[in-house]
Amino acid sequence: MLKNIQEKIGYLRETQLGSFIPVLLALIVIWIYFGIKEPVFLSPRNFYFLFMQSAVVGTLAVGVTLVLLMGDIDLSIATVAGVCAAIVAVLSTKMGVSAPIACLAGLGAGAVLGGIMGTIIAYFRIPSFVVTLAGLLGFQGLMMKILGIHGAINVRDPFIRGLTTTTLPDSIGLILAAIGIIIFGLAIWNNRRARNAKNLDNDLLYLSIIKFIFFSTLVITATLILNAYRGVPLTIIILLSLTGFLGWLTTSTSYGRAMFAVGGNLESARRVGISIEYMRISAFALVGFMAAVGGIIGASRYASVSFNAFAGGPLLLEAIGAAVIGGTSLFGGRGSVWNAILGALVIGSLGNGLDLAGARAADKLMFSGAILLIAVTLDAVTRGGASRK
Amino acid sequence: MNNNNINPLKNTSSEQTNPIHFSAQGIMKKFGGIDALNDVNFELRRGEVMGLVGDNGAGKTTLMKAISGAQLCDSGAFFIDGKEVKINSPHDASRKGIQIVYQDLALCENLDVTANLFLGNEIRYLDNLKIIPRALRPLNHLSMEEQTKAALRKLKVHTITSMRTKIAFLSGGQRQSIAIARATKSDSSIVLLDEPTAALGVSQTKEVLQLVKRLRETNHAVVLISHNLNNIFEVCDRITVMRQGENIGVFDTKNTTPDQIVSSITRGE
Repeated sequence: MLKNIQEKIGYLRETQLGSFIPVLLALIVIWIYFGIKEPVFLSPRNFYFLFMQSAVVGTLAVGVTLVLLMGDIDLSIATVAGVCAAIVAVLSTKMGVSAPIACLAGLGAGAVLGGIMGTIIAYFRIPSFVVTLAGLLGFQGLMMKILGIHGAINVRDPFIRGLTTTTLPDSIGLILAAIGIIIFGLAIWNNRRARNAKNLDNDLLYLSIIKFIFFSTLVITATLILNAYRGVPLTIIILLSLTGFLGWLTTSTSYGRAMFAVGGNLESARRVGISIEYMRISAFALVGFMAAVGGIIGASRYASVSFNAFAGGPLLLEAIGAAVIGGTSLFGGRGSVWNAILGALVIGSLGNGLDLAGARAADKLMFSGAILLIAVTLDAVTRGGASRK
Repeated sequence: MNNNNINPLKNTSSEQTNPIHFSAQGIMKKFGGIDALNDVNFELRRGEVMGLVGDNGAGKTTLMKAISGAQLCDSGAFFIDGKEVKINSPHDASRKGIQIVYQDLALCENLDVTANLFLGNEIRYLDNLKIIPRALRPLNHLSMEEQTKAALRKLKVHTITSMRTKIAFLSGGQRQSIAIARATKSDSSIVLLDEPTAALGVSQTKEVLQLVKRLRETNHAVVLISHNLNNIFEVCDRITVMRQGENIGVFDTKNTTPDQIVSSITRGE
């Protein structure tokens, strides 16, 4: 009986829509609960801040999903974000480098730091847990060095601040949403037609329609809510574009296939000629890049780079927690970058709601712990079902 | 090199058979002081299933690994259609049309049937655009799925209905079919099967043996390693017996009995 249910949940989680549903349900439950308890939770203004608060965690979660897919982990994402933010801050405020170039340097630094750790993991065959733990410690020190004795640098540059303060005009937000919906609809439609033409089995028509309606409602509602306050933030567009690219990379290229193969069965990936070394190095470099993006967004949002905001706080665990809550397996081989964003929203909503409800830090931590534990348990349980152990 | 001299078995065997497609000559392999393979000759015809039997440690798997390029032998030569070929890596072997299905199948349970069949060898769009790195060209999902369906149909595997099913949800026999379909999808002429029925139940074993017969019909040269002589006698045309790293002899299934094979395996007669 229990095994049967395990297997059913496992099967559900293997489908694209099915992996979305648990985390989405969790999100809806949280929203309804806090909506009733603290009506202000559901105000457009609060949603705007909720999205913005979740942006940094979301960016890091999307990044770390890439290595989780391969069965690795990166514990250094938050400190890499901090180091990159510090580099950007020092370059732009103290050395007079123009902000866009400083940002590029920060992004490059993130990719290099990630790539170096990836190289060590790949060639010396050290577990990623250990190497990135060393990275976590080492980069904390590096960040302190870069920031100097004050431990914080204020960022006033209009370009960098603009990354999180700019919002799109209402009309452009709606147009982008419409374009997104049309592309999504066309993709579903095209895929159905091509599958029929080639005589391949199709999803049930009503499932495709539900998928489309679901996506459209989500996008339009989100846009309208954001428009009701200030408009769609540029940050969200940046995050969604990057996630869109990484989503495409992981599901629609040989590179992504190889990631799933490495996470699913390392030996078989090796036998079919996939270079494990290349995969590890490039994936960790990508995570480093995403960490740098998160760092720059963070610097822009807080208008400063401080040790506590990145390395000292709960950012790392929140990001990994978000990825796992989104349904990405810590055992490798299963997950999606899109779900990481939903996971980040779950964590963000929880923090935001508990803040509004006047909960103390202690309660917040315990709540977050419980949610994470539930997510990991679900992962372990469904994994057992799926592999018929 | 003069092929006729080193193929003493050529034309001596029964009437209707195809010419020898593949042969291994004088294969030697030492592990430390032990002769894992000692001057082994081995030959295969297309449209024929060759059983390879022997006790544990007799050298069956070592021979398979040498043929599939997974492990280099110390000396010896390989010939395909009479021409000498070098097999220095699994890649070499698969380019020459030699495919091996390992006992553990090497499938990724978290990927679907199509993805497994094309793993490491995906069909992509923009494959003539050299500027885009190969790993970043978009996958042609539908073509791969179509070809997967065709490959399974060719092998008469009808129990797998959706090519989008994850391997984790398939039975052992179905997994074996997929591993075999992967090996025979490309232009392979030689398929090596290492204990394909070892972990299977009765009906699934039957399923896999049907598949082996099907490979014979599609004109593959098939090698079947198995400890189960019933299975061997059911599908093999000839049986090669190995003992202590040596090829004891090749038997026609029609003119031999399981008892003879057993005594050959155990006593080298």
